[in-house]
Amino acid sequence: MAMVLLAGGFLLPAQDNEKKEEDLKNPHEGKAEAVEAGRKQFLNSCSGCHGPNAEGGRGPRLLKSGVVRGSSNRQLFTLIKDGVKGSDMPPTKAPDEKIWEMVSFVKNLNAPAYEANASGNAESGGKLFHGKAGCAGCHAIAGKGGVIGPDLTNAGMSRSYANLRESLLQPSERPSEGYLGVTVTLRDGKKISGIAKNNTNYSIQVMDRQSKLYLLNKLEVSEIVFKKSSLMPEDFGKRLSKAEIDDVLAYVSRQVERVPVPGGEAGAKEQ
Amino acid sequence: MRVKQFAVVAAMMAAGAMPAQVRYEDILKGPSGNWLTYAGDYAGQRHSPLKQITTANANQMTAKWVHHVENAKRLECVPLVYDGIMYVTDSNLVIALDARTGRKIWQYKAEQVKRQDINRGVALLGDRVYFATSDAHLVALDRKTGGLLWSKPYADTKKGYFATVAPFAAKNLIVVGVSGGDSGMRGFVAAYKADSGEEAWRIYTIPARGEPGSESWGDLTLDWGGGGTWLSGTYDPALNSLFWTTGNPWPDFYGGDRKGDNLYSDSLLSLDVDTGKMKWYFQFTPNDVWDWDAQAWPVLIDMPVNGKMRKVVLHANRNGFFYVLDRVTGEYLRATPYVEKLSWAKGIDAKGRPILIPGQEPTPGGKVACPSVRGASNWMSPSYSPATGLLYVPTLEQCDVYTSSSKHPEPMKGFAGTGAESVPSEPGKFYMRALDPKTGAKKWDYPMTGDASSWAGTVSTAGGVLFFGDDDGQMVALDSKDGRHLWHFNTGQRLTASPITYEVAGKQYVAIATATDVMAFGLFEPAPSVPLVKERIED
Repeated sequence: MAMVLLAGGFLLPAQDNEKKEEDLKNPHEGKAEAVEAGRKQFLNSCSGCHGPNAEGGRGPRLLKSGVVRGSSNRQLFTLIKDGVKGSDMPPTKAPDEKIWEMVSFVKNLNAPAYEANASGNAESGGKLFHGKAGCAGCHAIAGKGGVIGPDLTNAGMSRSYANLRESLLQPSERPSEGYLGVTVTLRDGKKISGIAKNNTNYSIQVMDRQSKLYLLNKLEVSEIVFKKSSLMPEDFGKRLSKAEIDDVLAYVSRQVERVPVPGGEAGAKEQ
Repeated sequence: MRVKQFAVVAAMMAAGAMPAQVRYEDILKGPSGNWLTYAGDYAGQRHSPLKQITTANANQMTAKWVHHVENAKRLECVPLVYDGIMYVTDSNLVIALDARTGRKIWQYKAEQVKRQDINRGVALLGDRVYFATSDAHLVALDRKTGGLLWSKPYADTKKGYFATVAPFAAKNLIVVGVSGGDSGMRGFVAAYKADSGEEAWRIYTIPARGEPGSESWGDLTLDWGGGGTWLSGTYDPALNSLFWTTGNPWPDFYGGDRKGDNLYSDSLLSLDVDTGKMKWYFQFTPNDVWDWDAQAWPVLIDMPVNGKMRKVVLHANRNGFFYVLDRVTGEYLRATPYVEKLSWAKGIDAKGRPILIPGQEPTPGGKVACPSVRGASNWMSPSYSPATGLLYVPTLEQCDVYTSSSKHPEPMKGFAGTGAESVPSEPGKFYMRALDPKTGAKKWDYPMTGDASSWAGTVSTAGGVLFFGDDDGQMVALDSKDGRHLWHFNTGQRLTASPITYEVAGKQYVAIATATDVMAFGLFEPAPSVPLVKERIED
């Protein structure tokens, strides 16, 4: 089987071959207990290289990984079973059933949050989001909320649960593009604070908290100070109880533009 | 001095020199520095009052910026511009750009849509951006952030519908149409409340059984008759009339299963904008078997007809005739052929019906007829200059071999009753053609080299310049008076969209979506040296 080298040295069977074969079915598909069993195996056998939270280390990152998201069951199963020749990824002697549990875990790391069966209480989470936790001060859902943080109306589909959790508890790990905090000093001394929607050597586009846009030519700018950390407070892990965190995550995970339905149609037509 | 000038401009923009919202009244005024609706104004003239670029200085134009749209293959959107921000679309994608630099401010992607059809652009109203996904959801976005407000399905893909339309905004309504008429569906136009997305009205372009017009169909074809509504519309606020075109009857190339006129396919509809009630219709090609959708742009002007000023609508139809109708009543006033390659009709009679030339219909073995299936013109936008009194129409002189099949039509299976292909020995040729609406006569012609693959439209300006995309992928500027070449720029790509013009911070730009990019042009200026600005990162 032909292999292709992807970002991060992650080897996968070539897509062309894959198209010719029907994908394998994971016997544990949709089973939360298989995800949990896979997680335990992962901690024992895989986390040494891939990191305890699958964030990557000697081996590639598996969390929020486009490569994993784009991989078929067959590709992931084969990779775990056979390992990757010429790399540190060894084959495994684990029975197929156990391998499928690992596939379930890795896939779940990257599944949309909506499908991750979040355990918290979404209703309580909604009250926290729009109330005491203060999330809506910066984030909007269906037009309700602030503008200084990413819109979360479709967060349940556009992000994985793990990603949402990380964003809530360690927001500076991976700040969202277009939401970097910035203060721009103009040549006349005026200061503009907000988020940098774009920045080049020749222009910068800044939005302030009132959603006012400043389209600035660098000729009129004397200094730019970016905030190193995310504008999102770092202390939600302390401000909220464990249950409240789960509730907020459950609420955000339920936010989808469209409730997903299996199937659908494809194709394009010129009209 | 220059720095000071920039600072003043920035301060003006920041201070909200423009109203914070795109008001209906603003769209009513027509284009200014902004370009607020598909054709620039409700009358569909695509004529801008901007005149920084003139016939005298257009030869000093140059590219100002290029924005590459990732994964784009065929952009067909008309960019809209408000308050220095440009809004462009691709399939299931909206991007807001800094209109001076082409830098992205936000983007919205409808990730869950399974279809990937082309898209013709957005509508702006209030502080919202509206657009249609390929699977016919009307989506409302926050204009400043791109945040999703709502996404509502308005047509069912399982019933043969999809969407490419640029929504139309007037009063508190957003009007949309549907595609799918080449494979069987029942066309409609629908209006939604701009704030809530609640449906205000819906009118089908194919009558229901028993309704007037239903007798002009066959049994099966009545349910699946097509009449797509995939192009946006024009609007006369004084009459409260919306003008919307309808597409071909289905199956496209075989009329035997739909004997009759097939109302209201291939027509121009005048609709009450508040209720959707049909005021009148005019059908250009009854019982069409050449796939000549009426999706060419209806242009509204007032002009003398037989010594009396009339409110008219101009329509350079795919079928090769240039029509003038009274837009108050729908009365047929005149039609003149605007292409030489026209074989299917001798002319149009006093009631507006074509006088057919027998034997021009598609046959199982193939019949050469003209214009081609793409029409003498198509959805690519013409423009009208009040200064010259001319309508500028991208025109295709071409014939096709049309084939038909009497096979029992099955809807939603891609069956169109067969099709059309070009005649290898007779390649088509594009012209930029200036027509005089008062007489229907051709005033001037600008032939284009190329392989007859253009789908690009026009924009005309008070500077006396006509901009358009040619059949070789070049942006071209002509003197709108006489068609004299002023300037051109090779974009290196096939052009399948219509240009616009706008102004930001005292500078006029001309922009067009190419196959994979959005490009903006303006007058050459020496570039100031931009010193590197000190950047720091702080906790």
